[in-house]
Amino acid sequence: MPDSPTSSSVPADHPFRRKGRGTDGLFKAFFAGNAGLTIVILVLIIAFLIREGAGFFPDYRRELELYRRSGLEFVDLSRKDLTAHEQMSSLLNRAYYAQVNASCRNEFQRSQEAAAIVNYLGEVVAPAQSALQRVLDRAGEEGVPEELQASLSAKYQALLADALAGRAGKGLPPTPHLSSAERAGLLADLKSRDPLSTDDPALVLALQEQLSARQDAAAQPLEDFRAAIDAFADASVALDNLVAESGDTVKAIKEAATLHEIETTKRATLLEAAAKAKKPEDKLQFEAEARAAVTTEAVDFAPALKPVLDRIPEFREANAALSAALAGAGDKLPKRLEDAKAQRYLATFRKGMDAYAIELADTNAALVAWRNDLPIGLGSTILGFVTGREWITGGEWQDFYGIIPLFTGSLLIAVIALALAIPLGVGAAIYTNQLAGRREQNFIKPTIEFLQAIPSVVLGFLGIAVLGTLLQETSMKDSLSWIPGFPIQERLNMFTAGCLLGLMAIPTIFTLSEDALNNVPSSFAEASDALGASKLQTIFRVVCPAAISGILAAVLLGLGRVIGETMVVLLVAGNRIEIPDFTEGLGVFFQPAHTLTGIIAQELGEVPFGSVHYRALFVVGILLFAIVLGINWTAQRMLHKFRIGHD
Amino acid sequence: MENPEQLIRKGVHHDRLKEGTVKAVLGGLTWGVVLVALLIFGRICWDGAPAVLKSEFPFVDTDFLTAKTETLHVFDDAVGNRHSLPATEYHAWVEKEGSDAVFNEQTYSYSGGGIAGPIAGTALLTLLSIAMALFFGVAAAIYLSEYAKQGRFIGLVRLAILNLAGVPSIVFGLFGFAVFVLAAPVFTEAPSERSLLAIPLGFTWFSFQGWNSSLIAGAATLACMILPVIITASEESLKAVPQGFREASLAMGATRWQTIRKCVLPFALPGILTSSVLSLARAAGETAPIMFTVAVAAKDDLPWEGLSNPFGIFQTQVQALPYHIYTLAARIPSSEFTQRAQYGSVFVFLMMIFLFSALSIILRNRVRSKLKW
Repeated sequence: MPDSPTSSSVPADHPFRRKGRGTDGLFKAFFAGNAGLTIVILVLIIAFLIREGAGFFPDYRRELELYRRSGLEFVDLSRKDLTAHEQMSSLLNRAYYAQVNASCRNEFQRSQEAAAIVNYLGEVVAPAQSALQRVLDRAGEEGVPEELQASLSAKYQALLADALAGRAGKGLPPTPHLSSAERAGLLADLKSRDPLSTDDPALVLALQEQLSARQDAAAQPLEDFRAAIDAFADASVALDNLVAESGDTVKAIKEAATLHEIETTKRATLLEAAAKAKKPEDKLQFEAEARAAVTTEAVDFAPALKPVLDRIPEFREANAALSAALAGAGDKLPKRLEDAKAQRYLATFRKGMDAYAIELADTNAALVAWRNDLPIGLGSTILGFVTGREWITGGEWQDFYGIIPLFTGSLLIAVIALALAIPLGVGAAIYTNQLAGRREQNFIKPTIEFLQAIPSVVLGFLGIAVLGTLLQETSMKDSLSWIPGFPIQERLNMFTAGCLLGLMAIPTIFTLSEDALNNVPSSFAEASDALGASKLQTIFRVVCPAAISGILAAVLLGLGRVIGETMVVLLVAGNRIEIPDFTEGLGVFFQPAHTLTGIIAQELGEVPFGSVHYRALFVVGILLFAIVLGINWTAQRMLHKFRIGHD
Repeated sequence: MENPEQLIRKGVHHDRLKEGTVKAVLGGLTWGVVLVALLIFGRICWDGAPAVLKSEFPFVDTDFLTAKTETLHVFDDAVGNRHSLPATEYHAWVEKEGSDAVFNEQTYSYSGGGIAGPIAGTALLTLLSIAMALFFGVAAAIYLSEYAKQGRFIGLVRLAILNLAGVPSIVFGLFGFAVFVLAAPVFTEAPSERSLLAIPLGFTWFSFQGWNSSLIAGAATLACMILPVIITASEESLKAVPQGFREASLAMGATRWQTIRKCVLPFALPGILTSSVLSLARAAGETAPIMFTVAVAAKDDLPWEGLSNPFGIFQTQVQALPYHIYTLAARIPSSEFTQRAQYGSVFVFLMMIFLFSALSIILRNRVRSKLKW
């Protein structure tokens, strides 16, 4: 093409060129600005989380300093022993009742089932029964109108018939432990019961009697044990009183100090306003108000605390009493209990005895060494937040912000969720990608993707309305009582939440694992086939190892989703802010807990703006942000590695 | 060993069994998941459908969709009949019969009436957030796919998109609360005390004191959340337009912007809209980001009622369907009287989400079959 135009053939000032250049730069800048918006948002997220959260540690440190200054910490030294003592006695009590109840489990269930039937009937007939009762109460001298009474009685009979046939509500409760004759007898009894009577039928009374007789019989051989438990539990009375009395004293000190601080702050604000005021009369008024603002004197902590510290010998004496009780209990307790659960509680108690004895001795030393003027460093405040075992807010005594209970909850729930989602998600991906036919694939894939579209709040609702009850009812079955943690005490617990979160993580893990398997070059599988490997060998020895980093990344992204999920755990996890009780063994998974995400969602709406509590929630947010970003970043690195491996 | 053929056959037989077992186990797992998904769907339809369907023509009971949320009163009358009425009907009943005629009364908050308020709130919130996210997201995608060259800025943008996509929704809630509710700039006559920065403009103040809990704050939070999804999807649609289109246009002397506007965007638009429908479903389904930025549990008016000026709608708090479900699930104990409100809301909500998802899948397939080059 000899005569094709070169760039110089269009003059530089030709309108064709000028027109474009001027505006094009602007457009580019506009689009670039929008792209930069993502960076701005990310920076804003980080900046504002830190801005709101940063004040937390200094504020919390100040609170902790006041906690030490006013002597609350001193009282808590002994209170900690008391709590531990309570836990120890509760362990013994649980062992005792587990042993007693183990032998009358059958009677207990029979009694419960009979009572459930009576309650069910009572609820169904309530409208007619209460109306009848009302009419009779008001009848007075002239009696009840015949017609009204007849219609109400008919109504009552109709409702009763409905109830006996199980047509109302959820139907008659099942009674697997009552014989059919007993059940029929009970129903007949209830049927013929006078409409106005609320007396329990004979069977219910008999069952209750049987139960208490059985309980008494079971308690008979354990009398010594019972006495030992009571002796141990009563040993804390002296310390209890001491802690309660000195607790009141130090609380008063703290309240006085807080009041003084509030008043000083108010004065400072007023003085500032006075300095800024333009009119002289305003200025005078502000100054007068400032002078009147402070009504209390600054608390002098050392003398105020003296009466409490003077009682250290008494504290030591009470401690000694506890130690003696502990040592005494060791000998009096039965060597072993027959029931496995009771034995586990007893063993836990024995294991804890030494630690508790050492703790008591330590407390004695700590009581003497304690000083109210030791400073609290920022480092130990941060450490206290990260390793704190208590998250207590809104209390009268002292607020503590410790992340461990929340973190444990999140972690345990994630473990349950992943234990379900990894085999199901990865297994389904392998099956769909490698083994299923085309028609099967076309059904499975969209269905599992639909699962992803279900909003988390809907799953949470289902957890409350369906799954929680279903799991609890299942766990009541006798044939399942060997599973640790069964029967489940709380309807909403970590296991329920974990199941639902697992369900949420399955689509993520499934889709990404399937992609990873799909991306394995077909030549891998072909080569393996050509070498004579069977289908299974090809899948598990060639294709899966080649896709392993993609699958791992999928699992990590699933984990990120599980940790960051809010609504399901908020609704279903049970929201108890405590470190779960690990003495239950695997049953720990069936306890309620609170989580990092749940606590933000639950408490942010209620806290005052700018308070320590408010800032603590933002710090939890920062932590959550960091954890999830870390997980996602690792997953991305893995994916990246995977891509390089096959390019 | 003497007869190799036999050995092979034996091996094959053994493998068959093993393969069959593994296939059965994996297939069982997979179909188990599918079954659970179908069970969930079935349960919600079974319990929820009665709230919006009825047995006679026209089969749809629109009362539940168009009535406002009210408190439900359950009580017995003098002759032992049990009534369950929403607040307005209840008051009418009491007016007629007298308050002496009410016995064993129980009330269930938010469980009577319908869900017009939450539906309207969710619709407004979703539309507003998707409009914002589309505007910024498509513009960002155009830059990434049409203008950008490899460089530091692009690297940062991609990193930011990747990280934003992974941020938990509750952290977006915190972010929205701290930024849009408490710190976003407004024009105001008198700046509030907690304002971060107030700039006097003479006739008014430009104050960074936030938008309070309002429709606009919630929509902005949701928009930030779906932005990365929209950018990624839009960029893919833009990249799918053949390079030849651009080259041809540029060769004819069109500027970059003309090329994009006339030769790239029209062909990428169906794909962009398809993916945005999917984001719509996600924005409608999230609860955590709107908890502190816009949602209220109870509101007597629909969002657009009782406003002094048309722009006031951006400053109102609204009810939202996911938050309504949260309230019903968390605060109202489940009983036979609350079941209609609970399952009905969940059913309507799920149908909405599935409608969006299904729509986006159908659109995607149509776009794919129509636009081929």
